Amino acid sequence: MTDKNNKIPFNEDNYTHNINRNNERKLDRRGFMKTLVGAAGVFAVSSLPWGALAAKELSGLGDKKYPKQKITDVKALPVGDAVDFAFPGEHDSAILIRLSETKYVAYQNACTHLRCPVFWKKNEGEMLCPCHHGKFDVETGAPIAGPPRRPLPEIYVKVENDAVYAVGVKRYEA
Amino acid sequence: MKRSYLPVALLLAVLMLNIIFTQYMVHQYFYENYTNTIIAAIINVILFPVAFLIYKKGVNVHD
Ligand code: FES
Repeated sequence: MTDKNNKIPFNEDNYTHNINRNNERKLDRRGFMKTLVGAAGVFAVSSLPWGALAAKELSGLGDKKYPKQKITDVKALPVGDAVDFAFPGEHDSAILIRLSETKYVAYQNACTHLRCPVFWKKNEGEMLCPCHHGKFDVETGAPIAGPPRRPLPEIYVKVENDAVYAVGVKRYEA
Repeated sequence: MKRSYLPVALLLAVLMLNIIFTQYMVHQYFYENYTNTIIAAIINVILFPVAFLIYKKGVNVHD
């Protein structure tokens, strides 16, 4: 009876007798720690793009550079008046307004509603869009009345030897 | 059979710090404090070797 087991191959009707899956999914202390280290690695790797983006912002690569462009002479623009120009491209119409002796503001004057040209209404002290009566604040370009919901993009200006120059466009922030 | 759960606790602490700094990093990015973003990112990266060292030390204690 006992040696029979050694002579006759035992009746094998399945092929999984040698697969032992007990404890296969057991998570021991070591395995758990491995998982934690892996998670730390994932955190580290996923931090890299944020660091890179922040470094890019810090180094100023995100700001587009435009060649500075003369808009007008200081003498030609009395306080309270406005002049149209184009910046940065020749089809990006813009408006420069002289608010006081030294304070100039400039915006791209395509209305943020449907791109009609916004003009400066001197005696009311606000920028007005003729199409649907949108109004914008001169100091900030923020929409204050009518359909527009987004501010006019601001253009940075600089005064240099009695002339006003456009030097850059403020980055759009939603 | 002396197993220590101290490394496990330390690793969990590291992971908690990871979560905290990740959230801080993302928020500082959108608040445009880019220096803080970079600092948090560096800390997050450094935490990985720290976790690995804790693991190395931890497994040598007999499992
Ligand atoms: S286009 Fe300016 S208000 Fe509609």
